[in-house]
Amino acid sequence: MFYREAGQYKTSYAADMAVFPIRQDRIGIAVILAVAFVGIPLFASDFLLTSIMIPFLIFALATIGLNILTGYCGQLSLGTGAFMGVGAYACYKLTSYFPDTNILVWIVASGFFSAAVGVVFGLPSLRIKGFYLAVATLAAQFFLEWAFIRIPWLYNANASGAIEVASRTGFGITLTGPAAGALPRYFAVLAIVVVMTWIASNLLRGRIGRSFMMIRDMDIAAELIGVRPLHTKLLAFAVSSFYCGVAGAMMVFFWLGAAEPSAFSINLSFQILFMVILGGLGSLIGCFMGAAFIWILPVVIRMVPEVLGLSVEAATVEHVNFVIVGALIIAILIVEPHGLARMWQILKQKLRVWPFPY
Amino acid sequence: MVAMVDSPADVRPDGAEAPVLLAVQNVSLAFGGVKAISDISFDIREGEIRAIIGPNGAGKTSMLNVINGFYHPQEGTITFQGKVRRRMRPYEAARSGIARTFQNVALFRGMTTLDNIMSGRTLMMRKNFFWQALRLGPALNEEIEHRRRVEEIIDFLEIEHIRKTPVGKLPYGLQKRVELGRALAMEPRLLLLDEPMAGMNLEEKEDMSRFILDVNQQFGTTIALIEHDMGVVMDISDRVVVLDYGKKIGDGPPDVVRANQDVIDAYLGVPHE
Ligand SMILES: Nc1ncnc2c1ncn2[C@@H]1O[C@H](COP(=O)(O)OP(=O)(O)OP(=O)(O)O)[C@@H](O)[C@H]1O
Ligand SMILES: [Mg+2]
Repeated sequence: MFYREAGQYKTSYAADMAVFPIRQDRIGIAVILAVAFVGIPLFASDFLLTSIMIPFLIFALATIGLNILTGYCGQLSLGTGAFMGVGAYACYKLTSYFPDTNILVWIVASGFFSAAVGVVFGLPSLRIKGFYLAVATLAAQFFLEWAFIRIPWLYNANASGAIEVASRTGFGITLTGPAAGALPRYFAVLAIVVVMTWIASNLLRGRIGRSFMMIRDMDIAAELIGVRPLHTKLLAFAVSSFYCGVAGAMMVFFWLGAAEPSAFSINLSFQILFMVILGGLGSLIGCFMGAAFIWILPVVIRMVPEVLGLSVEAATVEHVNFVIVGALIIAILIVEPHGLARMWQILKQKLRVWPFPY
Repeated sequence: MVAMVDSPADVRPDGAEAPVLLAVQNVSLAFGGVKAISDISFDIREGEIRAIIGPNGAGKTSMLNVINGFYHPQEGTITFQGKVRRRMRPYEAARSGIARTFQNVALFRGMTTLDNIMSGRTLMMRKNFFWQALRLGPALNEEIEHRRRVEEIIDFLEIEHIRKTPVGKLPYGLQKRVELGRALAMEPRLLLLDEPMAGMNLEEKEDMSRFILDVNQQFGTTIALIEHDMGVVMDISDRVVVLDYGKKIGDGPPDVVRANQDVIDAYLGVPHE
């Protein structure tokens, strides 16, 4: 009823190939962007920006990174946390050497470092698949974590063993360090995430995205069509790690402000993997849904006792949190193994034919 | 009249004038102790429909796998378009103009019909990573231009209604048709079809036969076809090669092959000495 494309005829292939061929979807995305760029900055508190929006966007970007590799190209990876770490450490070193350069330049440049590392650790994917590849990427995870701890050069030999973000600027505005306001950091993250999501959607809809999916669905047939498996898999590793690297750099520079090696542990890898699976393998919108669910829901639950005026111990709240979120994840995956993105699609289909069942 | 001889479709039925497109010479292939192909030679001429027949396990599929570089024969050579080779990678075969379909449909199940057929255009799409990332100007034009070609194939195969359907959800007969579409999208010189009509009902077989003949006549595509249905083979092929237990036991026009005693024995299951 409210969501119908009736009367919207596509008269060119370009129109049919658009990201949002249906008008209601285009209006929807425009509203979301307006809220993100105007609404939230106007009304949001520092808490909402720093504890919810900034990490949510960063996790969504890392989720896109892993989804490109796992959801689109079919290569399972448990090294996401480490690849994010490579981005963070690369950015830290770059800005240590060149403190006056716009920090946004180094945030993006650090993606290339983790892309290179990702390619190296993606090499085994020529020979091994599935769980065996996951184990190989696990080796990457442990090796890189080890490097973050054992190579003092990486953290400028700080006594704490952590990387601490100094004050850096971009376009004359202080973007990182203790002096940086929440709003500039939010805008920086939002801009990078929006642009990189747009690029991912472009790549995935064209030849490159198709060749990823060809490898995922039937690598033998892909090869007989002229897709070189190693080439394609390594490209997927590179693009995926690039996204994870930028997300990792942003995580430290725009959100945490400092990070120990344990910030990039296997737990982070799993957290991102959950976001991918819950959101939906092979769906970009799903990345945002998965990140929102796993990041924002616990924050909201944590606020409940306060709002209700109950005095519950923080530790208890955390435990309840784990139980609720865990149970919901299981419930959702039982109802729809293809994740939130598929649920959303089905809902849209229902809206389209409403009030009839089909 | 003379001018028309150039058109491959007109050299039929005996194909005597057409040059050889692919020659298989003394090819042998074994898997451990199993000899799948022993010392087989035959050729495929430009513009013809060449059937490969034989009982189950005769080595037909293995032969196609050798031709498109998926298996590497222990002995013998393959000459395609005058280039002699022993071994090559499947993507090199694709590059040189060989496309195929599979006995057990090998579509990209998570992708739509449209994307599956678009995937056949991969080698023809040249715009680099950075244009792809922006999807503006050249990359978008390229995508649209190939989309147009793919829509022609979709029209040709009469599958407009399933354009946006994920192929995993399609019935078997339509999947086979989409797979043919994907191979056609590569605009191959040589099209290898492995049992394109297996498991189809009569009507579907008639449709598929019509598509194969149309491809051969309209686009001049050379076709190698594995098929168990003798009626179809006799009707649409120009020449037939018969395999049995990895050996060649017959080669020639359909009616000659049908009269061959070895072939009759092989099909009736006369025990081997
Ligand atoms: N990858 C492989 N490994 C081991 N043996 C194989 C392999 N591929 C084929 N073979 C063997 O080679 C022989 C020929 O098989 P092939 O699939 O080429 O037969 P076919 O003529 O296509 O039969 P069908 O009509 O059943 O499809 C069989 O004995 C088969 O078991
Ligand atoms: Mg076979």
